[in-house]
Amino acid sequence: MYQHLRLFVITIFFLSSICLFSQQKFTISGTITEASSNETLIGVTLLVPEINTGVTTNDYGFYSLTLPEGDYQIRLSYLGYQDIVQTISLTQDLRLNFGMFEEVEQLDEVVVTEDVEKINIRKPQMSVNTLSVQTIKKIPVILGEADVIKSLLLLPGVTSAGEASSGFNVRGGAADQNLILLDEATIFNSSHLFGFFSVFNPDAIKDVKLFKGGIPSRYGGRVSSVLEIFQKEGNSNKFHMTGGIGAVASRLLAEGPIVKDKAAFLIGGRASYAHLFLPIFDVANKAYFYDLNAKLNYKINERNNIYLSGYFGRDVFSVSDSFINTYGNGVVNFRWNHLFSNKLFSNLSLIYSDYYYGLELDFVGFKWNSGIQNFNVKYDLKHYLSEKLRLNYGINNIYYKFNPGKIVPNSPESGIVEEQLIEKYANEFAAYIDVEHSVTEDLSLEYGLRFSYFMRLGQEELNVYENNNPVIFDPFLLIYREAEPIGTINPDRGETLASFANLEPRISLAYTLNSDNSFKASYTRLAQYLHLLSNTSSPTPLDVWTPSGPFIKPQLLDQYALGYFRNIKNGDYSFETEVFYKDIQNRIDYIDGANLIANNAIEQVILNGTARAYGLELLFRKNLGKFQGWLAYTLSRSEQRTPGRPPVEDNGRSNRETGINLGQWYSTPYDKTHDISVYGSYTLNKKWTFNSNFIYQTGQPTNYPIGQFEFQGIVVPYYGLRNQERLPDYHRLDISATLTPKKNEGRKWKSEWVFSIYNVYNRMNAASINFRENQDTGVNEAVRTSIFGIVPSVTYNFKF
Amino acid sequence: MKKYIFLLAILALNVSCEEVIEVEVPNEEPRLVVDGLIRVDIDEPYIPVEVKLSLSSDFFNNNTPTSAESVLIQYDEYEDGTIINSFFSNLAELEPGSGIYTPDPNFSSDQRIPTSILDRNLVFNLLIRHEGRLYLATTEYVPAVPIDSLIQGDGTLFNDDETEIIITFTDDPDRDSFYLFDFSFSEFLVTEDEFYKGQQFSFSYFYDQIFEPNTEIEIGLMGADQTFFNYMDLLIEQTTNDAGIFSTPVATVRGNVFDITDIDNMDLFDNVEQPNVFPLGYFAIVQEYKDTLVIQ
Repeated sequence: MYQHLRLFVITIFFLSSICLFSQQKFTISGTITEASSNETLIGVTLLVPEINTGVTTNDYGFYSLTLPEGDYQIRLSYLGYQDIVQTISLTQDLRLNFGMFEEVEQLDEVVVTEDVEKINIRKPQMSVNTLSVQTIKKIPVILGEADVIKSLLLLPGVTSAGEASSGFNVRGGAADQNLILLDEATIFNSSHLFGFFSVFNPDAIKDVKLFKGGIPSRYGGRVSSVLEIFQKEGNSNKFHMTGGIGAVASRLLAEGPIVKDKAAFLIGGRASYAHLFLPIFDVANKAYFYDLNAKLNYKINERNNIYLSGYFGRDVFSVSDSFINTYGNGVVNFRWNHLFSNKLFSNLSLIYSDYYYGLELDFVGFKWNSGIQNFNVKYDLKHYLSEKLRLNYGINNIYYKFNPGKIVPNSPESGIVEEQLIEKYANEFAAYIDVEHSVTEDLSLEYGLRFSYFMRLGQEELNVYENNNPVIFDPFLLIYREAEPIGTINPDRGETLASFANLEPRISLAYTLNSDNSFKASYTRLAQYLHLLSNTSSPTPLDVWTPSGPFIKPQLLDQYALGYFRNIKNGDYSFETEVFYKDIQNRIDYIDGANLIANNAIEQVILNGTARAYGLELLFRKNLGKFQGWLAYTLSRSEQRTPGRPPVEDNGRSNRETGINLGQWYSTPYDKTHDISVYGSYTLNKKWTFNSNFIYQTGQPTNYPIGQFEFQGIVVPYYGLRNQERLPDYHRLDISATLTPKKNEGRKWKSEWVFSIYNVYNRMNAASINFRENQDTGVNEAVRTSIFGIVPSVTYNFKF
Repeated sequence: MKKYIFLLAILALNVSCEEVIEVEVPNEEPRLVVDGLIRVDIDEPYIPVEVKLSLSSDFFNNNTPTSAESVLIQYDEYEDGTIINSFFSNLAELEPGSGIYTPDPNFSSDQRIPTSILDRNLVFNLLIRHEGRLYLATTEYVPAVPIDSLIQGDGTLFNDDETEIIITFTDDPDRDSFYLFDFSFSEFLVTEDEFYKGQQFSFSYFYDQIFEPNTEIEIGLMGADQTFFNYMDLLIEQTTNDAGIFSTPVATVRGNVFDITDIDNMDLFDNVEQPNVFPLGYFAIVQEYKDTLVIQ
């Protein structure tokens, strides 16, 4: 172990020393901001056309580029902003900060360059989708609430289990395999109200990036994707307010300087109206959510910036006060950006994140609290060695505390005995190095290595099983069942119950044929140490996370991807296609009838299996002009399998096993063979913009009963192998129109109306098909549940 | 616990709409179904043995009763792991074609099983020969605890068309207990004493209907072992899968009756080679306490 580490450190030093021999070179560096608000801009491209090199700003708006002495013309470009062209004479190191101005929409002239989410042909980074917040706000969504995650679903390779399901699925991966980072802090539940809305307030967001593959080594801990979201820092120039009044929720955000050009704040809130969805009930029911975003930043000097950001969100349901359910995320995050030199940027983050789930059931007489707390320290460095070589390296340590649940009686009369389910503790350490390397003009590489080390720490009580086997198989009934523990141990918190070390190599390369065509390829290995215990077809907030440990192994992913990228007509159009293959070891699966809730010995109901997914993605985009949009198509397959464990010799009795689902591969609930999304936006004039999207997906895998029997008067449908059937195909068309009143011009108060219709042709898409006995007639029937028919809505947005 | 997510889900799905649709379901060869839950009233002299046999059907058709060549219960008394006594109860079909089997009244000796024998250490085996195949199920008697009180409540959970009843019972502190409640109308509930061990425990059950005043509702509280608890839990879950998107994966609900025709006890002492050969249903002998509530 330590040898690995030492090797790793040596590598860093070796690589750091490579470029000490360069001569007569100077560095330009600085920060690029939005001129009117001083908000830093992420991903601005700074190009030096004459020597065909460039750099993009990092997550904090910083850039650094080292060039030989000389005169250069540099060009800055960023989506929705006017290009800046400047000639510089490089005879010494320069510190150049730029402020960029938003593109003024000159619709009468032909060109509209807003929303140019151009693909970067040269960068080895592949399998990444970026959506600008402007685009997200335009995409028509249910009930008019602009929604980050719902917008991502329109991109290739991203689906969700259904309209009312939390989370999202990337390239056939499960929802718990997405690393969701809000200002670098992990968010455990990305949905409000069971998935109707995502937890991110679009007004407070600056940048959204989704990595589906080719994930750089600075990320780790989840095997499917990384969704990185940055909140705005706040306007350090002028006080502004933004808000909106919608059919479901209203939002208000204020930002402004504390010390002009030096310190700023941002505070935003969003709340839905109470009694949402439930007005039909005549009892006193409530269902609502709210969230708060806050950020402070202080620019100490040119070399040091500090940020303090926070997020707090809650969902509340209650039914006639006998049933109260509250859950949500809370995040606090302190960051310090420090420039060691004009080539070495560093960021230190201290992050505390908390996920809470509470339930009170008055009619049974108890309260239930569960959650996860984690404390994360991260130190990341970005080293701009030369125009050809950049290094990212850093370390990260996360300490977790899992509270699977505590049951308390809610009144003295309750017969419930207070019980704390055993709390679990773990620590995850990682160190990484990542090299961005332009080998030749045509070939660029990004390669790196992540070393992760996970320790499951001692807990109050741990079961011990015969043969170390918590799940036993009945060779006659062919069912898996819980083994009786033969004892318990009480390890000390300082003890390590299990530890896992993984080396995770990552490599991506881009080969540029010419300025408009390139091929990219990548290999990614990732380890995931936390597992979401969920055996419902879509996750619920009550699902509990559990760490790897003595009985649960970490999930290990190998992903291979190949892609072809093309800009057409100078970037007016772009086309990208990728194929991928993923293989995941140790994907947990649940024995039939597994009860995951309030289960103190979860190891008794799970087995380690494997999962795989493969597919083809196509994305064709029109990036410029009055009409913009894209067409995305994904053809894929996602399966899992849990074969029987190998037999062990044991008192002569057979211990052969069939495995879960008889050991055969079966479709995961998020296996969608065909997935087509079309999005179009048409700017008619200054007043009107129209948007539309259409989605078609193969129906979700499901089960139909292969027969029925009666037992004690109960009519029981029974099923065969898992997920053999499919729900009917899903499709839907949404439209929206944005009206920007003329009187906005030249006044401070800017407003707009968004009119939208979700599911225009009122398709009754099946969320599920249930088989049951009709209680009145006693006849068996199949019942389709659809979530949303046609839903019109109006939202009013304002800014001043 | 799982129930409550369903409740939650129903809440969240209130905007949703349900519609009965035509679905073509798969079809397989009928399987033997054994309904062998025997509920013992310890104050009666004999165990009310009744085993019901039928054939499964596809989802939209009805099960049909079926007759067996022979149905037999063999019960062995164990002492220190060895059989010291074996007894037999031969069953006969109550009416031809009914598929209902009870102790044979025409046998040369009394085939009924006395309740007094239940305090011994017994293992019951149910052997069925049906259409040339041999089936076996094994179980042990599980006791229960009495219902302390049964009252009608006036609460509702989701709507006004509900009837609340409050059941109180005292858990046996000396064992890990599992209970099965029969609320009549084919409504069952399972619970385990993990969170109320040795306590007097009350909980509410909500019927999704309003009863006429003076309707008598009989509630049964039965004991269960863990295997039977698991079976009933899964079985109830399969039938109350109302809020589909949060439903747990469906399963076959295999019971404790299995087809032993092709199992030779020499080299192949398991069922792994024939995963698709199995009957349905369960054989259990449990104690039951009953109480009746008159709806006001």
